[in-house]
Amino acid sequence: MTSALWLASEPALLPSRIQMAFTLASHVLLVPLGVALPSLTLLMEGIGLASKDPVALKIARRWSVVMAVQFAVGAVTGTILSFEFGILWPRMLGQFGGAFGLGFAIEAWAFFLEAIFIGIYLYGWERLRPRTHLLFGLVLPPAGLLGAFGVLASNSWMNTPAGTTLKAGKVVDVDVMAALFTRALGYEFWHFLIAIYMTAGFVVASVYAVAWLRGRRDHYQRLAFAVPFTVAAVLAPIQLVVGDLSARALVADQPSKFAAMEITWTTRDHNPEVIGGLIDANGDIHFGISVPSLDSLLVGYSPNAVVPGLTSVAANARPTIVEANITHLAFDLMVGLGSVGAALAVWHLWVLWRRRRPPESIWFYRLAALAGIGAYIAVETGWITTEVGRQPWIVFGVMRVADAVTTAPASFVWTMLTALVVIYALIAYFFVTLLLRLSARWRREDLNQPSEPEVGAPYGPRPRTFTA
Amino acid sequence: MPDLIAFTLLLAITAYSTAGGVDFGAGIWDLLAGGSRRGREARALIDHSMAPVWEVNNVWLVLAIVLCWTGFPLLFQTVFARLYPLFALALVGLILRGAFFAFRHIAEAPRAHRIADLVFGLSSLLTPFFFAASLGAIASGRLESFSLMSIAFGLVSLAATAFSGASFLVGDARRYGAIELVGYFRRRAVIAALALIAVGSAALITIGFEAPDLFRPMLAGKGFPFALVTMVLTPVVGFLLWRGVLRWYRVLTVAAVGSMVFAWAFAQSPYLVPGQLTIAQAVAPFSTQVLLLVVAAVVLLVIGPAMGVLYYLDQRSALESPET
Ligand code: HDD
Ligand code: HEM
Ligand code: HEM
Repeated sequence: MTSALWLASEPALLPSRIQMAFTLASHVLLVPLGVALPSLTLLMEGIGLASKDPVALKIARRWSVVMAVQFAVGAVTGTILSFEFGILWPRMLGQFGGAFGLGFAIEAWAFFLEAIFIGIYLYGWERLRPRTHLLFGLVLPPAGLLGAFGVLASNSWMNTPAGTTLKAGKVVDVDVMAALFTRALGYEFWHFLIAIYMTAGFVVASVYAVAWLRGRRDHYQRLAFAVPFTVAAVLAPIQLVVGDLSARALVADQPSKFAAMEITWTTRDHNPEVIGGLIDANGDIHFGISVPSLDSLLVGYSPNAVVPGLTSVAANARPTIVEANITHLAFDLMVGLGSVGAALAVWHLWVLWRRRRPPESIWFYRLAALAGIGAYIAVETGWITTEVGRQPWIVFGVMRVADAVTTAPASFVWTMLTALVVIYALIAYFFVTLLLRLSARWRREDLNQPSEPEVGAPYGPRPRTFTA
Repeated sequence: MPDLIAFTLLLAITAYSTAGGVDFGAGIWDLLAGGSRRGREARALIDHSMAPVWEVNNVWLVLAIVLCWTGFPLLFQTVFARLYPLFALALVGLILRGAFFAFRHIAEAPRAHRIADLVFGLSSLLTPFFFAASLGAIASGRLESFSLMSIAFGLVSLAATAFSGASFLVGDARRYGAIELVGYFRRRAVIAALALIAVGSAALITIGFEAPDLFRPMLAGKGFPFALVTMVLTPVVGFLLWRGVLRWYRVLTVAAVGSMVFAWAFAQSPYLVPGQLTIAQAVAPFSTQVLLLVVAAVVLLVIGPAMGVLYYLDQRSALESPET
């Protein structure tokens, strides 16, 4: 209802929101591997050096090629994003750039470092002494972390803004530390950090789980599966705890978001936990499973705990019914996938601990093959929870999305959106084709004589001569 | 201090114009290299010399944008609220370019390959043109997306990128021992230098008519030293390459193109948008400025040596090449 009102007053709002969501959702698919794959690669290289295992080194070098391609696509889609803030939300940046932008000012430099050191790392294979090479590589994880910190600081500021002094609608003073380290950063950063390492681990491992299912079960496959999967498996149970902390913090920080996640209509005690299900405009719940009092128990450890409902916030300051339902389903999906992932992790760790080897059940590998996709979906739904649950605010409680949107005509934004969708589809196609080609070539080479893994990759070091 | 932030922003823009310009220029020569068979050699070299660096260049652009919105939020809002069509077009170019640069490595059918080459080349025209056009629209003080000034700046950027692209490709051709291509790109660099002189003069005349307040300091004020450097160095580089004196030409190319950007910026200082918005009016609160400078200083200390290592490795691998 309220959103219908805005749509009439701000014609570019709908396409702008769709465009922002689309480009962010695409970019974030590249982030887990972008930030976390260097660590996995270095771990594998370290194992290779420590145990003098050429197979581990080969795996590490191949992963580093994937890293380079990934980074290049991330750089392009990320550049688009930074321009989009200006094209779509000029008024938010004009007003709050001095505070919101701080995180990105750090992020941009961090990626600079990352870009340079990825270059050095790729060039360095067999050109630097192995120990030196590893040492240079060790710059990559902190650089990636610093970048993620910057982005998350900006996003957290949008969720729990702090550190700005306003005078007549203009920001006259910024407390830099307060604006960077907002309350939401405390949970968003750690939850996100674990999410990307988990995702990278599951995604990389899932490639080799598929190989295992197809019958390739030599030392190479085992190693390339076990290392990333173990990393993910250690993190998955921790993520449940951290996610629970995030949810609990939202009760105080963003009650309207929390109410949308749990589709709670009125503030009450003995609140049930609704799994699946939809809420309608009268506050009635349809479908889904309702577990009595569970939500109250989870939030306050007692059935008497009072949980905020949507109606505790004015109708024009909380998510609409559609937005609440999206937030709720996204949240449930994330939690569901997180739980399945944790169960799989426990299975793996249990067998590893008892038998000193990964499980050998075919079902384990079937699930592991799906774990990569599952982790990506968990990341996406997590962001949908965060972003849609924040509506109608672009800066929570301070600035509405409708007040930030561009004054450009809607037709312009629709056109740009269409162009971006088409181009992103092309990029996705090229990206996947490229990775499949590389993997097919590497497989052929394992059967025949080896060449340098970088051959055929468009980015990264060149051979020392070129041939037309 | 606000001036220092503005200067940092200018450095990022200049770095993108010079380093990124070399890249876009290479793309332009790729477009002009002719059909698949005729252009094969040139294309292979362009590909070869561009691949390792272009994503680092992209970071300069991101840095400029982020510095702009954090350091000068009001400038960011004003410029984007008016010039969004230019930025959208530049972006489409940028992303098409990235995508098709990758695609031409995986395209197998000759037709697809040819299309990839074309899209890559055309988008190499689009991006610098529209980015520079936005600077022209700002310089005019009127923030009109499509005006004489924006078109003049756009055209200058095309000539300048073609010029720096060709000049650096001469170097790469030598590095990789592709003797015929040295002459090939030398001729093109000379032509581009002439084009840059012609288009640059035309642009200067346009500025004289359209933005007299910018014209004066450019020829008799803060912008003049830089304008002079450009006017002297461009013919000098052209001459060096024409005579085949292959020394210093790359450094001088960067200096020529870089001072052009400086000439514009200094001529319109202390305005960010002439007549509308000064540095002092648009700058973010004090503590934000401090953070920006601290971060920049710390990182420069790290990035400087890191760039050195990358450059060293790059050169060393070239020295090992059997051809040279
Ligand atoms: C592998 C990915 C993954 C997994 C398994 C989970 N999450 Fe998550 N979640 C994310 C990945 C993620 C994320 C993509 O990283 C988000 C988006 C924003 C953020 O900070 O993290 C997120 C956001 C997010 C938020 C919103 C935070 C905010 O708006 O500030 C909550 C409340 C939770 N999560 C809760 C959970 C719970 C209770 C989980 C499991 C039981 C869970 N998450 C598993
Ligand atoms: C990376 C993963 C992210 C995803 C998938 C994501 C997803 C979304 C979605 C779905 C929306 C649309 C909400 C709606 O219109 O109902 C949105 C809006 C937005 N997001 Fe995010 N988001 C992400 C991260 C971020 C980050 C890190 C920032 C900034 C630091 C950010 C800034 C914004 C802004 C400015 C909007 C537009 C205003 C709004 O609709 O609230 N997002 N995002
Ligand atoms: C969830 C939040 C995000 C994280 C953790 C993140 C992380 C990353 C990473 C790791 C890269 C490097 C490419 C790669 O390794 O794949 C990257 C590139 C980039 N991201 Fe994001 N990103 C996020 C969201 C955003 C948003 C909302 C913006 C909008 C400004 C953005 C802007 C950029 C830019 C400009 C680049 C290119 C930097 C370069 O050229 O190296 N990112 N991002």
